[in-house]
Amino acid sequence: MGAGISEAGRRLEKTRVRTFLYSMRIGTPVERLHVITKVVLMLTLSTLALHMFNIPVERGGPDLVGLALLLLIVVALLGAARVARYLVTSYLVLALPVLLGIFVWWLYFNRGLPGPRMQLYLWPGYVPLGLSTVVLAAALAALYLRARSVPGPLAAALILWWLSLMPPALDESPMTSWARIPLGAAVAVDVPRWALVVAVAKVLGFAVMIYSTFLLLLTTRDAEVAGALRQLGVPYRASFYASLVFRNLDTVMADYTNIRNAQVARGAMVARRGPLARLADLARISVPLVASMIRRSVEMGIALYARGFYSATRITEYRERRPFTYVDWAVVALLAALAVFDVVLGYRFDSMLRLAGYG
Amino acid sequence: MSSEQKREYPWSHYTLACCRRGPAPPTLYVLYAVQIAVVIVLSYLSVVLLGPLSYSGISLFYFVYPFIIIFTLWWGFWGALAGYIGCVVGAGLMVGLPLLPSIAYALSDLVPFLVMFALYRGVLARLGVDPLMRDLVEREIRGYRARRSAAWFWFILLNGLVLNALSAEIGVGIQYAMGLVPPDAYWFWWIGWFVGDLLAMVILTPILVKGLTSMVERYGLINHGWFT
Repeated sequence: MGAGISEAGRRLEKTRVRTFLYSMRIGTPVERLHVITKVVLMLTLSTLALHMFNIPVERGGPDLVGLALLLLIVVALLGAARVARYLVTSYLVLALPVLLGIFVWWLYFNRGLPGPRMQLYLWPGYVPLGLSTVVLAAALAALYLRARSVPGPLAAALILWWLSLMPPALDESPMTSWARIPLGAAVAVDVPRWALVVAVAKVLGFAVMIYSTFLLLLTTRDAEVAGALRQLGVPYRASFYASLVFRNLDTVMADYTNIRNAQVARGAMVARRGPLARLADLARISVPLVASMIRRSVEMGIALYARGFYSATRITEYRERRPFTYVDWAVVALLAALAVFDVVLGYRFDSMLRLAGYG
Repeated sequence: MSSEQKREYPWSHYTLACCRRGPAPPTLYVLYAVQIAVVIVLSYLSVVLLGPLSYSGISLFYFVYPFIIIFTLWWGFWGALAGYIGCVVGAGLMVGLPLLPSIAYALSDLVPFLVMFALYRGVLARLGVDPLMRDLVEREIRGYRARRSAAWFWFILLNGLVLNALSAEIGVGIQYAMGLVPPDAYWFWWIGWFVGDLLAMVILTPILVKGLTSMVERYGLINHGWFT
């Protein structure tokens, strides 16, 4: 019988815990880190990324190797936290258009850079059948399997296809362009060569910042933040206030969904309508949403008052407070060393690679 | 202003005083927190519902903007703080934008609202414009005949043009300074920001004021000063 209970206990034992976004597995190396360490990690990586992609061309341009290294660190941490799979199946689709957009903007709207220039096709004057066609088909198939609809994936695949048409070297090489169907006149723009390097650097830097943010959100609980604030000496009421904000996020989201469903059940938002009508629908949701917010606040306020929130002399601390371990100190020290090495002393990872005989 | 003039307007008790003595009542304490949660969720939705074009911190229709306007008019500093935190967390972190740039350019959703609050309560209220904007949609406020054309004039001029431009300038300017906006695309970003906020503001603010302000006032939940 005892064995049965322990078996049941093992089955009931918590293996995952809810975080800001989704949930995380308990016991991974990243989960064991203190929330302050994770915030320092994200801020340091973001600062380094900002610094590396903003190095002016006159001082050698962006540090692509350093940025790639940072991205590798973030991906490794996401893997160690066992949240990479969730990220790939949910937010990757959201983040890719951002990165693609950043690339295109920085390629075409950054023409004041010095140095040699290069041609990029907006349209090569023919439809090349070759590598670009493979890109189109593969992207369309992959995105269709994910979304199970045609318009969105087709638009995304066409954008990728158009990007693969831009380099003249690809279109004109018989290796990558096997046949050509003439269509219209060629349109090309003249951009600095450095613009391509800067665009790639921006994409890498943004990827570092975006995915390090996800690392924090996917591996941090709201109560941990309140506990950490107390450890930092923030007064209880301010910590509790922060905790109230974060704990109410789910409730507000649930309210929004309930009100929306109720209105759909009454016939709102059923037919496909113009943008203005959809905005009016949104406004109709907002009024009951705010009304329910006020009602809930009144109830919670009364509950706080009844529990002696203002008169309590002894408060119960958050259970989620955890000690700052040696591992946390080691990670923070490593990050500080990296920041000093790169930002203060001005070392570049690509020049180190060159010194080592690569590149 | 003489005491007779003060009595003339039914909103004279809404001022720019700092706060009342003692802590805020628990209901207000909770409300200030919950409204931040609401703004975070709406900021998140205003970016996510409109798809990838809403990224880079710029939504084509940032429909949370009118909420921040009326929350600031109701709850002063806390409403503007909700705008700031909503921009950092909801329109920033929760959709995967980096923390560091978000913290910086979200100032664009803090400063203009604080200025608006000061102008509405400090200047326009004395000129006969309701600091809660009820005169945008009401003909009469507690027996006082509302000046609708003046209210709309100041609403469009201050919120729609001046403060919206300030918001776009702060937001896009900080992004540009941090190397997040390409040099030749500054004005594309700026106009996108300006138009996205303007549309939402003009369409939704009157609806929200009409549906909610009287109710919130009836509950006695509107701040008399900046903080409580």
